[in-house]
Amino acid sequence: MFTELNSILNATPDSFTQGEFILVSDRQSDASFLIHHFLSFYLRARCKVCFLGLVQSFSHYSAISQRLGVSLTQAREKGQLIFLEGLKESLSILIPQETTTGSQAMDFLRDPTVGLQRLYEFVRSSVSSDVGGEEGVEEWGPPVLLVDDVSVLLSLGVSAGAVLDFSHYCRATVCSQLQGNIVMLVRCHGEEAEDDGSDEGSEWLLKGLTHQCSLTLHVQGLPTGYCRDIHGQVEVCWRRRRGDGQHTQKKLFQYKVHDKGASFFAPGTSSAVL
Amino acid sequence: MLSELLQGTDTGAVLIIQDSCSYSGQHLLKSFISAALNKEEPVHVLGFDVSEEELKDGLTASTQRLHFHSAYTDPLGWTNRSAFTVHQFCVEELTHLLKQTSHPKPVTLVIDSLSWILRHVSPPAVCKTLQQLKKGGAVRAVIGLLHADMHQSGTVGSVCHLATSVITVAPGTKGDEAVAKITKRSKSGKVTQDEEIFSIKGDFSVTVVSKTSHAGHRQTEAEEQQTDPTANLTFNIRLSDTEREAKEKLALPFVFSKEKKTALLQSGPGSGRILYEPDANDDYDQEDPDDDLDV
Repeated sequence: MFTELNSILNATPDSFTQGEFILVSDRQSDASFLIHHFLSFYLRARCKVCFLGLVQSFSHYSAISQRLGVSLTQAREKGQLIFLEGLKESLSILIPQETTTGSQAMDFLRDPTVGLQRLYEFVRSSVSSDVGGEEGVEEWGPPVLLVDDVSVLLSLGVSAGAVLDFSHYCRATVCSQLQGNIVMLVRCHGEEAEDDGSDEGSEWLLKGLTHQCSLTLHVQGLPTGYCRDIHGQVEVCWRRRRGDGQHTQKKLFQYKVHDKGASFFAPGTSSAVL
Repeated sequence: MLSELLQGTDTGAVLIIQDSCSYSGQHLLKSFISAALNKEEPVHVLGFDVSEEELKDGLTASTQRLHFHSAYTDPLGWTNRSAFTVHQFCVEELTHLLKQTSHPKPVTLVIDSLSWILRHVSPPAVCKTLQQLKKGGAVRAVIGLLHADMHQSGTVGSVCHLATSVITVAPGTKGDEAVAKITKRSKSGKVTQDEEIFSIKGDFSVTVVSKTSHAGHRQTEAEEQQTDPTANLTFNIRLSDTEREAKEKLALPFVFSKEKKTALLQSGPGSGRILYEPDANDDYDQEDPDDDLDV
């Protein structure tokens, strides 16, 4: 986890806001480093994590988490981490064999128009802990759902409306009912076009998810172009605030990704410049 | 106009709050709920976007008359635990729902949000239901929240056409201020439009900061009047009255005034005269230098 990002978001593994829906988005950039941050953050906070890894294999996340000081294999063995390996599961659906049982989670690949109800049911069964578990089973903290990433579902033929329904149900179960958190990554390509709402693509999905979420982190390249020392900018926007202050608060930071983390700084204060 | 709308609406009113990603209309919607509860009117909320706890959070008015129909937990019937599904959004089901709790006063129906319904029910059906609610006697007023950037402009336009008042909210220049563009259609057919800057306090009461849309212009004019360039200088560039008169009387050297014109045109006595007799050498034609063309 990135310590500077923790102080920006006012969160530590011991105390963080519960019931939050965090939306990580990027445009012509790569925000997956934030997913690695949140994965290691919530594992360190001893939360029960359900990770829908739809774009990369388990070993990919495992290798990067190792560098951040968290072992995914251990967490999976202990039952703290439930990992849906989207790439492997989809193979078992596309090339069915007699021996494969597997979860029904990726069933939408068979018929994308059906929607993501099965995926939601997989999430729900993963995050709800059984009351009165067996002895020796550790008690984990509030459940957390991580999705990497949501826009790949659009490429697989699922409609954006179905994805919004899925995220709504996840939010109702994980955030409101179980007081857990959700982190979803959505990726947009191309410019911020005025779609007029007719083309239900990734831009429309981003707008829909923005309306649902409570915190957005939007990653973009620098508007002035490529820079070796500054990899881009992150705009953090707090949307729903309870009690104090009704207005949404926005902050802009620039970041640089290192081998073992990322550093965040106010625009213009990069160590390369000062 | 925002305060008038908050205070009370006539029967058969449909109020739509349009918002976008940059500013959420949720708080303004809660202000309307709070205002209705303060007037001791029963309010029924169809909650799709937010849970009951989130909606009731911060409402200081007594929530005894607030009836929340939760469509948040299971709007599509996936878990078979739903109180209200999105497909139940029709006049018969709604009237049945409202009749379950009897009230002496007419009911205000709040829909949060219409965008959720529009994603699953076709826009003509939604418009038909809204129109029937408007005409029928089950509810006194309908207040709906619509995310304008989630739908085609045609859909937004059709739904807002049904409304008697439309408030479009956008973020303002200062931190907790927002701009509201209000269009109100009265029963006689008169349409009034207004733009106000407002802010919402912690108890969901709305303060209208300024009314005119040209507030920005007025502020810059006042600023220009205030700056006096002749103040705070180490030298004096101000003019006294005599100095100002002398300055205005001064004729500038290269200004072509009337007196100078007449002086130049009429040659005075003793000035030179020019006598000219045409010379053959002066009559040089470029195209006929030898002067032998017979054209």
